[in-house]
Amino acid sequence: MKKIIRYVASLVLVALVAYNSVYFKKLDEVKAGTASFNAAKYASEFWTKKLLPHTTRAIEIGQLLTLLQTDKNKAFSDYSHALGIGNVRYFLVKGSGTVQAVEENQVLVKVASEREKPEVILVTEFVFGNAVRDASGEIDINEFTNSMDFNNVSAEINKIIREKIIPPFKSKVKRGDRINFIGAIELNKEHLNTRSIEIIPVDLKITN
Amino acid sequence: MNLQKYRADLIRFQSFIALFLLCLALSIMSDKFLTVSNAWNVMRQISVNICISTGMTLIVLTAGIDLSVGSVLALCGAITAGLLRNGIEFPSGNLFIGFTLFGAVVAGILTGSALGAFNGWAITKFKVPPFVATLAMLTIARGLTMLWTQGFPISGLGDTFLYFGTGWLLGIPVPVWISGTIVLIAVLITNKTRLGRYIYAIGGNESASKLSGINVSKVKITVYTIAGALAAVGGILVTSRLDSAQPNAGTSYELDSIAAVVIGGTSLSGGRGSILGTVQGAIIIGVLNNGLVLLNVSPFWQQVVKGFVILLAVIIDKSNSKND
Repeated sequence: MKKIIRYVASLVLVALVAYNSVYFKKLDEVKAGTASFNAAKYASEFWTKKLLPHTTRAIEIGQLLTLLQTDKNKAFSDYSHALGIGNVRYFLVKGSGTVQAVEENQVLVKVASEREKPEVILVTEFVFGNAVRDASGEIDINEFTNSMDFNNVSAEINKIIREKIIPPFKSKVKRGDRINFIGAIELNKEHLNTRSIEIIPVDLKITN
Repeated sequence: MNLQKYRADLIRFQSFIALFLLCLALSIMSDKFLTVSNAWNVMRQISVNICISTGMTLIVLTAGIDLSVGSVLALCGAITAGLLRNGIEFPSGNLFIGFTLFGAVVAGILTGSALGAFNGWAITKFKVPPFVATLAMLTIARGLTMLWTQGFPISGLGDTFLYFGTGWLLGIPVPVWISGTIVLIAVLITNKTRLGRYIYAIGGNESASKLSGINVSKVKITVYTIAGALAAVGGILVTSRLDSAQPNAGTSYELDSIAAVVIGGTSLSGGRGSILGTVQGAIIIGVLNNGLVLLNVSPFWQQVVKGFVILLAVIIDKSNSKND
């Protein structure tokens, strides 16, 4: 008898927890309420209407590196963007330089600059992360009803880079070429490392 | 005789003395250390470590170890956040299952419990060494986290959820209330229940415990399940504090947790130690982290210092065991 009471009490408890834990809806009702989100379309519009116009405000990479040495706080406050709190922030940068090496996954570029002449890495294979999405500062997480949509925008932006920006450049670029580039970089304010800067490209031009 | 008593007292209060000396040194070296706001900051930060270290203590008392707590923490935080934010969709059945805050938290904790139970089952059923079984779970849980999140953070979880990690209740941060409650329950379990006595007995001598009729497998599975659930609570606190479930959350948390347990005087060979000792160990680790940051010590050196502190604690533990 005691056992039965224990089982019944357990069942009631589980039912109570389940009742207060989940709710069921028809998927199309939920989708209708939120209007289905097309990440590819959003990313394409973001690219042309927000990101590309914003590239005019990208900072020249040599200038940024000099500023990071002289006034790190100003460099981060004036030119970086990030959606969350933390030390990792993103910059939209531009520059020109000479190709030092063309490797399978990257292109090494010696930047032409008045002061700093750093060697930077243009990523040409593994494009991932949120650098480009977040570097412009033109995206607002509150526009999105769920995080998957927001993350998918990043995935679609990276897809544009992989499919439209990199291939025409990668097929022609060779050592010694002069190029112009615009792209996004990630820097950690607390543990700043400017020795091997990786640029996710937004625009690449060979200017020989 | 007096010397023996003095020595015994010294061993008993070694963590407390170490903590006192550490606080004294940091108060002298940094004027920002001994402030109320910094004290709450430290307490809030160590709450997560206290949650997972409490479970780790129970495991270490049985002479086991759990290397998967950091990954389990990340997975449970991500599952809670994912269910709360996105629910589950079944397009083939035109069904959407939404989760309330309560439901998402329960699901997160159940996930942690299930993973912990799996660890315990693998260890007891197949006699896999705890080190190996939980190392495997470390990878499994991290992989599942990446699959669940697709490698992206899950953010925007709502103000009510943020209250767990950032809120205050009666002038005390909510995470401190949560970790304090967990510690209280764990102290009661270890000191006042049959399960607690079994845990110490198994750690002290597993064969003798078996012969005396204790269901060792059941106790071990229970302990690993509790540890998994507590790692999940830690994951929910971390996610709530950051308003974001990060796929790489909890990386190397297992080391801080083991450090807290060892520094707190729990023997890695099992059977000896206490939850309150672990709390002291977690506070020492937290104060050390905080102090090194306030003193502007490079994070790379912080790791070196922490490593030496752990080594010192183990050497002292070994020396005490030999003298016992």
